[in-house]
Amino acid sequence: MATLEIKNLSRLFGNTCAVDDLSLTIGDGELVCLLGPSGSGKSTVLRMIGGFEEPTAGAILIDGQDVTRVPPERRPTGMVFQSHALWTHMNVFANVAFGLKLRRLPKDEIRRRVNGSLATVGLEGYGERKTSQLSGGQQQRVALARSLVLEPKILLLDEPFASLDQHLRERLREEVREIQRRVGITMIFVTHGQDEALAIADRIAVMRDGRLEQLSRPDRLYRQPQTEFVAGFVGQMNLLQGAIRSNVMSVAGIDLPVALADGPATLALRPEDIALEKRGDDGGADVMRVTDFGTHLSIEVRTRCRQRLKIMAPPGTGWSAGMRATLSARKFSVYRDGKLCFMPQPCDVRPAAAA
Amino acid sequence: MSRAEATRQDTKGRRPIGLLLVAVPVFLVLSLIVWPVALSVFDTLTVETPSGVTLSLDAYRFFFSDSFSLRNLWMTVQVAAICTALLLAISLPIALYLRFSTSRLTGYIQALALFPLFVPSILLAYALIRTLGPNGTVDILLSAVGLPKLASPYLTIWGPIIGLVWDNLPLTLLIVLAGLGNVSRASIDAARDVGANRVQLLRYIILPRIRSTLLVAASFVILGLFSAFTLPYLLGPAVPEMMGPFMRRTIIDVDDPLQARTQAVVTFLICAAFAYFYVRSIARTRREQSS
Amino acid sequence: MSMPALRRAGPASLGLSRLRANGAGITIAALLSLFILTPLVNVAIWAFTEIWRYPAVIPQKFGFRFWGDVLSRGDVHLAMTTSLSLAAIVTALSALICLPASYAFARMDFPGRNLFFMSFLTVYAFPKFGLYITIATIFLGLGLIGNFWGVVLIQLVSTLMFMVWIPVSAFQNVDRRQEEAARDAGASPLRVFWSITLPQVLPAISAAVLLTFVNTFYETEVAWLIGAPEVRTVPLLMVRFINSELVVQYGAVLSLLLWVPSFVLLMLVRRFLGAQALGRALGA
Ligand SMILES: Nc1ncnc2c1ncn2[C@@H]1O[C@H](COP(=O)(O)OP(=O)(O)OP(=O)(O)O)[C@@H](O)[C@H]1O
Ligand SMILES: [Mg+2]
Repeated sequence: MATLEIKNLSRLFGNTCAVDDLSLTIGDGELVCLLGPSGSGKSTVLRMIGGFEEPTAGAILIDGQDVTRVPPERRPTGMVFQSHALWTHMNVFANVAFGLKLRRLPKDEIRRRVNGSLATVGLEGYGERKTSQLSGGQQQRVALARSLVLEPKILLLDEPFASLDQHLRERLREEVREIQRRVGITMIFVTHGQDEALAIADRIAVMRDGRLEQLSRPDRLYRQPQTEFVAGFVGQMNLLQGAIRSNVMSVAGIDLPVALADGPATLALRPEDIALEKRGDDGGADVMRVTDFGTHLSIEVRTRCRQRLKIMAPPGTGWSAGMRATLSARKFSVYRDGKLCFMPQPCDVRPAAAA
Repeated sequence: MSRAEATRQDTKGRRPIGLLLVAVPVFLVLSLIVWPVALSVFDTLTVETPSGVTLSLDAYRFFFSDSFSLRNLWMTVQVAAICTALLLAISLPIALYLRFSTSRLTGYIQALALFPLFVPSILLAYALIRTLGPNGTVDILLSAVGLPKLASPYLTIWGPIIGLVWDNLPLTLLIVLAGLGNVSRASIDAARDVGANRVQLLRYIILPRIRSTLLVAASFVILGLFSAFTLPYLLGPAVPEMMGPFMRRTIIDVDDPLQARTQAVVTFLICAAFAYFYVRSIARTRREQSS
Repeated sequence: MSMPALRRAGPASLGLSRLRANGAGITIAALLSLFILTPLVNVAIWAFTEIWRYPAVIPQKFGFRFWGDVLSRGDVHLAMTTSLSLAAIVTALSALICLPASYAFARMDFPGRNLFFMSFLTVYAFPKFGLYITIATIFLGLGLIGNFWGVVLIQLVSTLMFMVWIPVSAFQNVDRRQEEAARDAGASPLRVFWSITLPQVLPAISAAVLLTFVNTFYETEVAWLIGAPEVRTVPLLMVRFINSELVVQYGAVLSLLLWVPSFVLLMLVRRFLGAQALGRALGA
């Protein structure tokens, strides 16, 4: 349990900037997900927190103490690696016990704690197994137990379940969430699956090209994406290029009042925020395809100016391909130069343009 | 006809050709390796009596009761042990550095450590004599800074040791490096994460994983040392001498082929276990390569 | 900090820890340089020295006088001719018998294929010199001691490991489907071998040929045991220089003269093969 503070962290590899001036603060017992596309620097951030990579600039503080130059073996962090990195020449028990042995704890205590930790991850009685005799999910749990048994202040997980199948991944991440609540440990979880992030994180940090795009609670991230990138990256979003003229943004046959200066802008519409109305010949859009998911309909339309949109409609509304419709937006946001600059709904986050 | 059947038929048709193509090299192996060794083992174990060929251990009895032969064997064992220890002690840190460092120095170090591959051992012998021999570079440098001469390793047991270490360093290093390739960076990171320092990393994580590699490297070195000839002959003492020069002298100068063969078979026997590890590992890498 | 500023500051702010982390590297590099390079540099200096009296640190007189001497010596010419023809003959014979065999091992199926292939492992299973002794005792009876062709025969065996192992794995690495595609496009089997297979294995085969040549040229032990005194190769001449030549420079000049071509050839091998593969070929 601890707080983590990262100040202006940067890391260069030769000439590529893997992490670029990143700052964030993580509170005690919080679970933060690092989310971003491949190569956005998530692993590098995590490895710097763990001490495996030296920052080119910036500082890392754990509980207010500067650990920037402290080697990994003396940091109060524990890491679960993507490739689980179990030591294949040791059995399960020895893998989990290794860190305790290095700390020269008495034998009984080691046994007690290892068994406790194996129980936490649901692997009682597996101690004598070889690591090669475990399934992928079990190996990953051993890796988790191996880190947990040392009671680190901060647990770092780098796409721990990436190599597992969908079901197992969902189950394990629920377990991790459950363990995190029970133990109350601070956790940083790297993933590039947004479902995973939205499902378990207290807050999500979205990264792109080594920079922090947004750090928010999952619901805020979804409802109030602060940048165009986040808007497009998290959840489904229709991003439409258009222009503002005399305080009206018109795009895809929709005219929206926008209190902004004239010029190009991007309109962002969630599929569930678009309303469809059946019309005759003069409708603004053609329905191209309708997929019935049972809980909702996913409708793809094409506007007169050949823009494609995804729309979500309630089930049983009788839409089918070839129909015509007019569109209206219940909710929208407008981005200019990649930044949020207009969002008509009442919100407690001030638009970035005003900040 | 299925494809598999087709290939099988195809290869069936080629059978005699394949055999024909490999016949000559296989014949060479049989006639110049298997046959001489088998014959030597047989001849050293038997004597011809009027009543026919009978089993006899006389040749070996002579070897193992002759103090001169034993001294030579003992020196070879000593040199082999020292060289193996030195080579592992030198190549392990270099290999660790090459495997886990990202520094630009790795290129230079690797090139340097592999350099002896490009120097024939006869030239090395000459260079070492000029460097370590009487009035060689080491003597010159010592006298230049006003220090007394050291006892020269030339013509002592240390001459061949230095030369053999120099000569065998690249291949030993390559064997150890290949073994370290199986130790993943992540497993090292994981151990550091739970608090292992450098020594503990080496002891608990790295060494257990490369134990068999080290055994193979040692086997390779030992096999090489029992057959070393040029360097011990040119750099080593005349008495006692290593098995290589000893065998040559026995067959050429002493003109005693039977004892020379006995000595050869003794080296084969001493090396048998190491040869087994070494050949097994070679067979394994070939198989991996070809699959 | 902006990116350019970071880039400028990077090395400086990291300088100290880099240096500390690299202490091990610098130590290794320094000790290794000393150990590996001293003998070689020493010989190189001797080769260009005319007068170097003990205990001067630097030779009194540099010059090329001994190069002329060495190059005009009859025994040097003779040894060069012997060694070159020995190496050329062994390499050619070895290529002739081994390359077809390695193709057969890689691509054909015949009874005993695996057994025969693994029989080449016996080359590694015995200490080499002991093996030569057992062969020599047989050659003694056949009158092949001191005979050029006796030396050729044994050298041939020790080249098997280059000329069989390297090409076999090269042939195995050629994608079968590429050959099949060429057959599909209408090429005859011979044409496929010539235009598809051969170009892909050529680097490895060149490496094998070069390795064989260089190793045979510098082979000392077989030449000494089986060939001496009638067959006088360059390494044996070198042995004589070491044992009984009073003029130090002859040996140094000959060393340098011999070493440079071998170095060039082996660097070529290295380009074709890579460090690990080269090591495997040499038995690592
Ligand atoms: N050791 C290294 N040497 C050079 N470049 C590196 C190194 N490690 C990472 N990089 C570069 O830094 C950038 C960020 O890499 P990083 O591994 O942090 O991305 P990531 O977000 O974890 O991606 P992924 O989701 O694919 O794991 C990439 O452009 C990568 O090429
Ligand atoms: Mg990553």
